[in-house]
Amino acid sequence: MKTIVIGSGLAGLMAAYISKKRGDDVTLLASGAGTLAQNSGCIDILAYTKDKTPVTSPREAIESLPETHPYKKIGIKNIEAATKEFLSLVSSYGLPYCGDLDGVIKVSTPIGTLKSTSYVPYSMNGAALFDAKKIVIVDVERLKDFYGDILRDNLTKHLPQGIELENITIDLSINGARDVSTIDAAKRVDLKEGFDKLVEELRPHAKEGVVFLLPQILGLRGDKAYKALIEVLKTPVVETTCLPSSVNGMRLVRIFCRAFSDIGINYVENTRVIRGVIDKSRVEAVVAKAMARNVKYEGDKFILATGGFLGGGITLESFNNARESIFRLPVWMPEGEKNWSNEKLFGSCPQGFATAGIMTDNALRPVDRHKSVIYENLFVIGRNLGGYDLFFEHSGNGVALASAYHAAVQSVK
Amino acid sequence: MEDIRVLIIGGGATGVGILRDLCMRGIPSLLVEKGDLTNGASGRFHGLLHSGGRYAAKDREAAKECIEENIILRRIGADFIEETEGMFVRLTSDDPLYKDAWLEGCEESGVPVMPITLTEAKEIEPALSPNAAEAFLVQDAAIDGFRMAWQNIASAKNYGAKFWTYHEVIEILSENGKIKGAKLRDNITGEEKTVYCEIVVNAAGAWAGKVAALAGLSVRVQPDKGALIAFNRRIVNRVINRLHKASDGDIFVPHGPVTILGTSSISVDDPEDTSTSREEVERLMRVGEEMIPGLRNNRILRVYAGLRPLYIPEGGVAGRGASRGFAILDHEKDGLWGMFTIVGGKFTTYRLMAEKLSDQVAKKLNNTEPCRTAEETLVNAPTEDEKESAKKYFPAFGLDIATHRLGRVRFARVSKALKKFPSKRILVCECENITLAEVEEIANEETTHNLDDLRRRTRIGMGTCQGAFCALRAAAAYYRVKKGKVNAVKEMRRFLEGRWKGIRPALFGNALRETELTRAIYELSFNIEGEMP
Repeated sequence: MKTIVIGSGLAGLMAAYISKKRGDDVTLLASGAGTLAQNSGCIDILAYTKDKTPVTSPREAIESLPETHPYKKIGIKNIEAATKEFLSLVSSYGLPYCGDLDGVIKVSTPIGTLKSTSYVPYSMNGAALFDAKKIVIVDVERLKDFYGDILRDNLTKHLPQGIELENITIDLSINGARDVSTIDAAKRVDLKEGFDKLVEELRPHAKEGVVFLLPQILGLRGDKAYKALIEVLKTPVVETTCLPSSVNGMRLVRIFCRAFSDIGINYVENTRVIRGVIDKSRVEAVVAKAMARNVKYEGDKFILATGGFLGGGITLESFNNARESIFRLPVWMPEGEKNWSNEKLFGSCPQGFATAGIMTDNALRPVDRHKSVIYENLFVIGRNLGGYDLFFEHSGNGVALASAYHAAVQSVK
Repeated sequence: MEDIRVLIIGGGATGVGILRDLCMRGIPSLLVEKGDLTNGASGRFHGLLHSGGRYAAKDREAAKECIEENIILRRIGADFIEETEGMFVRLTSDDPLYKDAWLEGCEESGVPVMPITLTEAKEIEPALSPNAAEAFLVQDAAIDGFRMAWQNIASAKNYGAKFWTYHEVIEILSENGKIKGAKLRDNITGEEKTVYCEIVVNAAGAWAGKVAALAGLSVRVQPDKGALIAFNRRIVNRVINRLHKASDGDIFVPHGPVTILGTSSISVDDPEDTSTSREEVERLMRVGEEMIPGLRNNRILRVYAGLRPLYIPEGGVAGRGASRGFAILDHEKDGLWGMFTIVGGKFTTYRLMAEKLSDQVAKKLNNTEPCRTAEETLVNAPTEDEKESAKKYFPAFGLDIATHRLGRVRFARVSKALKKFPSKRILVCECENITLAEVEEIANEETTHNLDDLRRRTRIGMGTCQGAFCALRAAAAYYRVKKGKVNAVKEMRRFLEGRWKGIRPALFGNALRETELTRAIYELSFNIEGEMP
């Protein structure tokens, strides 16, 4: 079967990977770099219910979601299978993740709040923080967007009493005139001299009962730097999340790139798909704008993973005029100014605009207003889907993986 | 005990103008403002320094005042004015007879007008509609309300001026028909205090009616809402006015890297009502598009509204029909000696309004010093040498604008910090190239009480990202300056909610996209909701 995947965010990459593993001939069409490098790479399955109650067991919470939620169409079995595939992929490429569907993992953010998620690389698992005698919060000289003092102030509130917190600032001797990002620092740590400097700076603080809390700087090469560091320091080390672009997102980008070349996925970059070629209720091909001319890609099965408003797969050029630009699929959106957004940006209910997207049947094929399937061999995944506010409930990467898996494993006539 | 003679209520353009004027005449004065400076109409308008053209057809007196003040302000306030020049454009659908009346009005009011050919007009303003029928150049300019107010304050302080922001008047005190003072509440601490003075000047803009009521007086001020849209790029190079009877959405003003389109005119009851709706955005866009056809392809940064304090004399009308002129009321005629109210007017003529009011106050206090506000420059700019040597540390694009924002003294301090501490060269705002050193300089001032105060002075959060990246950095800088005494997470959250208010009515296109990025950062990566356990 020839499968064409459009879009190179987490959903598209995963769909291509699973499709290929199942024996399809896969072409992935990407218009740009994709959003994965901006992605935290934390696999959030579901952290909040619709009234912002923290979820303690995603498996149970998914049960009580409304029927319109993508998870309800995908089903818990597929969610579980998808995460299993993901875990085995990242682990075989040197970035093992921990976590499960029955509890949550606490991750520290750079501002000292804790974030609940389901699967993270071991370096981000915040569990060690709770068992520490002392947490040493590590600022890096000239590094932007990490504020150890603020982190400490807030983190204290979330930890059991009696844990000592200390701020230190280390110097990784990063040269250059411009501001230093976590990615610059991570690249530095990937180099031997950078790693040695890191060890040298941390070692004096590495005592019994100490846990280091670092910005996300432990290299771009899987968990190599992390493993080496805990081995020499003999103390737990924890990384926080970070502003985009994200180091952990970049780690995943590298994993998918390597996996794709190993298993042979035809990955076409810089190609913007502009329209579908339709024959009745089937997509025959898509036409993409390449550097100099239009190219047609024919296939048996098509997976749309171009993202929502942020990714650019759905646009809203003026009010009430949402568009999916390739297949002109109907985009469901809440009607009226009041339902479109809340008075507060952050708050205790989901934002209407964030739930706008394409509605599908249980197989994730797009449907029209009467719930009839529009194209029988087209599947819609990730943030192209409507009916959930991923930012509110923290479910984006979970839906991305699960919908990708669900779409990839289905055959078409 | 404050040793003052005049208490000025209201930190808008008029109030700061009066403070400077009175202090220059040697009259000790205190200005109080219930929020930050310019939190009313003076910080919420299109930032247009009128040439007078806008009023020439209807109100020649106003047009004449505008052109005179326009010339004075360019001279004394170069640091808050961008000399863009202006253009009046008549579209084929606009009445040519109106243009004739307009030209005549300009001639009589002394507003210089230069006709240009359509070819020339299209050459200098390529975005202009093909339906343009005629074009004229005038001396409009862009003016920064925030900077103007703070520079007035800086100048006034050289003459001993006092000013307290976040101080609200809760009672006006009088005795035997004479002003005695006022009772104030510090809106930060909640503490109350009394100041004694001989004169109270009510320059509270849209709130003037409420302030007058505190003294038992009745002044009818109709708050008139003007909504505006800020776009994320310079769509036009000069102020573009539609040459027709004044209406909504017919003026474009370029400001540095953004363009403002305004305005509407809606009577509202509540002087705090600066809400805007989708409908207002649509209306402004529809009219704006007639002049600039590709308007919708530009990203809207935000939508905001200010309230014009239109004065309605007995039997007068509200809305666009109401006079844009100003009125000075000496309440001695109402039986209260020492109380004045100044209402109406335009930002462009703030200095003139202040002069006229100050003349009356001075007379009442038997002070015979003449007004000197038109002669003295507001701030000293850094010298070319100082700028040249700072170039090594400043981000290239941010240097000139930083000198305008900072003035000579602060610029010297910021340059020194940048030179000495490379870590302070970090850009807090990457949209407008604002360094940590500058943010810290302003955060350190005692008048800075939150990130929004910091924003109005530095422009953090006002550029393309609307706070997505700088809210965190600014909150951190502020937290450090305040030595950890503020909750950084709460501050950044409040700041982002403030930005949201302006984004929400225009939540489509790239503004929507940017909002999702903001949510991705603050909700997903930072879990800002998880602030407390």
